[in-house]
Amino acid sequence: MSRAAILARPELPSLVFLILLVAALSVTTPSFFTIPNLQAVLEQVVVVSIVALAVNQVILSEQIDISTGSLVAVCAFVYGNIALTVGGSWVPLLGALATGAFVGLVNGVLSTYGRVSSIITTMGMLFALRGAVLLAAGAQVLNLPPESRIFGLGEAFGVPISIIVLVVVFALMGVVSRHTVFGRNVYAVGGNDRAARTVGLPLNQVRLMTLVLSGLSCGLAAAVLLGQIGQLQATAATGFELKVIAAVVLGGTSITGGRGSNLAPVVGAVLVGVILNALTLNRVPGIFELFVLGVLILAAVSFDGLRTRLTDRRR
Amino acid sequence: MAEPMTASGVSGEAPAFAVRGLGKHFGGIHACREIELEFRAGEVLAILGENGAGKSTTVKCLHGLYQPDEGQVEVSGRAVHFRSPRDAEAAGISMIPQELDLFPDLSIAENLFLGQKRPRRPWGGFDQRAMNRQAREVMAALGVDVDVTAPVKTFSAATGRLVEIARALNRDARLIIMDEPTAALTEKETENLFEVIRRLKAAGVSIIYITHRLNECFTISDRIVVMRDGRLIRSGPAEEFTIGSLVDAMVGRPLETLYSRHSRPIGDVVFEVRGLTLGNVFSNVDFEVRSGEVLGVSGLIGSGRSEMAQAIYGIAPADRGEIIVDRKSVDVRSVSDALASGIAYLPEERRSQGLILPFTIAANMSLSVLALFSRLGFVNRKLEDGFASESARRFTVTGAALSSPVENLSGGNQQKVLIAKVLALDPKVVILDEPTRGVDVGAKSEVYRIIDDLAARNKAIVVISSEMNEVMSISDRIIVMHEGRISGRFTRDEFSQQAIGAAAAGQRLHHAA
Repeated sequence: MSRAAILARPELPSLVFLILLVAALSVTTPSFFTIPNLQAVLEQVVVVSIVALAVNQVILSEQIDISTGSLVAVCAFVYGNIALTVGGSWVPLLGALATGAFVGLVNGVLSTYGRVSSIITTMGMLFALRGAVLLAAGAQVLNLPPESRIFGLGEAFGVPISIIVLVVVFALMGVVSRHTVFGRNVYAVGGNDRAARTVGLPLNQVRLMTLVLSGLSCGLAAAVLLGQIGQLQATAATGFELKVIAAVVLGGTSITGGRGSNLAPVVGAVLVGVILNALTLNRVPGIFELFVLGVLILAAVSFDGLRTRLTDRRR
Repeated sequence: MAEPMTASGVSGEAPAFAVRGLGKHFGGIHACREIELEFRAGEVLAILGENGAGKSTTVKCLHGLYQPDEGQVEVSGRAVHFRSPRDAEAAGISMIPQELDLFPDLSIAENLFLGQKRPRRPWGGFDQRAMNRQAREVMAALGVDVDVTAPVKTFSAATGRLVEIARALNRDARLIIMDEPTAALTEKETENLFEVIRRLKAAGVSIIYITHRLNECFTISDRIVVMRDGRLIRSGPAEEFTIGSLVDAMVGRPLETLYSRHSRPIGDVVFEVRGLTLGNVFSNVDFEVRSGEVLGVSGLIGSGRSEMAQAIYGIAPADRGEIIVDRKSVDVRSVSDALASGIAYLPEERRSQGLILPFTIAANMSLSVLALFSRLGFVNRKLEDGFASESARRFTVTGAALSSPVENLSGGNQQKVLIAKVLALDPKVVILDEPTRGVDVGAKSEVYRIIDDLAARNKAIVVISSEMNEVMSISDRIIVMHEGRISGRFTRDEFSQQAIGAAAAGQRLHHAA
């Protein structure tokens, strides 16, 4: 990769910022750069990262998915109830994935062939699904047996399974992005949809698929999340969708589509995780969390806008 | 259909591609009908006609974007039915649209391979190196040596045009449709493009060439087809036509009326620019314009012409230098400063910079002068409509009611609406940036008439144009820009294509290649 190409990487600014932040925290906060703390940060980041990797594709294709919070809750509900009746981890996981994919499909069909913009479809889905979970499980408090929590608690070769899951998803999305026609088309559709039509790319299929992918990721994330917390409430993962979008945008994927990378959502998620961790370690009250998150999103999108202005001046 | 054999055509065999009795209507209106065309290998066919003559509809049917209502497209003598551009591309027909359809954030190589089979590595992944190599080869075949891994947005419009052609070649296109490929190119870049077209011809590729620039047809095409009102009016070898007979066929009137230029008295200096500089975009630009005078600004795209105009108009103000209107130095820091000083500007990109497409004709025209028709912030619709219909009459905007959205108008009429809007404030200085780009012959002559009329009203006029004939026909003086500096100044008796072209290329005439 040439130097110019490295400098043009969308996640570069946030990666540099992340490294500086980690360096600064290591000096100022002794408890930060310790194995247990870093592992804790990573484990917290896993759930957001998994979904962010898929929503990254949605945003790259010039759409958005804001239904992920409720969808994770629904998938967790499905996972939990199958786990209680059937037991184990794999059958519940399949159930959660199927649920996620189905909802993603509905989101996708409405947003493409239904000609409703994805922000509206997924907003409707956000409310509808949360309502459904509250109706179905409003009073239910579900406790998961340990054998159904391997995605959250299990370890393999001394590494938490949740982190392995994230690495696998990351690698898979990397291959999809770089080495499949679908992956390349996502960038094209988001970069210039009129041109994509002229070239004969299947716009609707591509956009639909990204939303299905996002649904699938919610199914997987639900299995990890439920494994970690062990207990399901109907209000689980409320506001989760904003953390996901924050991770994608902070990582450097452009909110206007067509520009970004597979690494961006992970960098963004880790950045969010590290910042929130730093607040906790420095005993900043938890009520600041939302405020900080909001400011970060605003900063990231302003930066994106500024960068677009600067680079487009040449044209 | 017994078409006479052409120089490069293959006699006896079915043509590579053909259109038979093609017709398409929208609502009750025929956009084109009874179109008969044949395309032979290695032949360039120019399609001419005013805006709305049905050229675009015809080629869109050929490219699968529209499905014809009558007739059919034939490939090697067999009727085919394209449901989408995808099918047409698969049959070897590619289209290079009028406005660049590239993916700005993706590399040239990536742009070439979109929607197309890519080389793979043994494990199934894409072979990026092979893609880059192939992309470099295709670009090299077009005579361009560029970094194919760099995003397309870092290149010029001319290179972008070549990337589009490379994309078609990379798909093994046998028929390439070029819709006004030179609209955004300068003379030099156009010459390069022609060189590319000649190479394509030699390789047996057929080309459909749509243009409004009549000279080009004779330079590059083997056969010419003229369309009017959705029908084929004339067709034949290029040698059978002259500019005059082409214009006749297109609009049904003689050529002499294309350019309007009356001799008129030229007054005092109204507008002056001294040492205008903006970073490394342009520097030390000096010129003056007298009342009733038309100053032509020639030069290549990227020579800083438009940027200079936009600096004068306050869109991106200059760092240094002086702008003088009526002998008073004015400080232009914003567009409203420029307007207040009596400077008006017709932007080059009418769709993105000039018009608000969903707005009505009337609303567009009155946009900049709405305050004149308003009291306490409420717009008096009656006054506004009166102004709009007066402007529509003066600038001969036809084809739609004043209450219909501008996006429904043809390019020529859109341009006239924009001119009406720009002139609404009755400026002293009028800067027109490519006023006839993408406009048909009929509307062109009206734009020239408007410019002539403005000069007669003692305005100081600056016309930026890439079209040599145009700038030479309507200007009293010409300045030429090259790499941000003025590289030549010509009075009317010094005008010559060679001298101006050499100045635009930054050369003195005698050293010109």
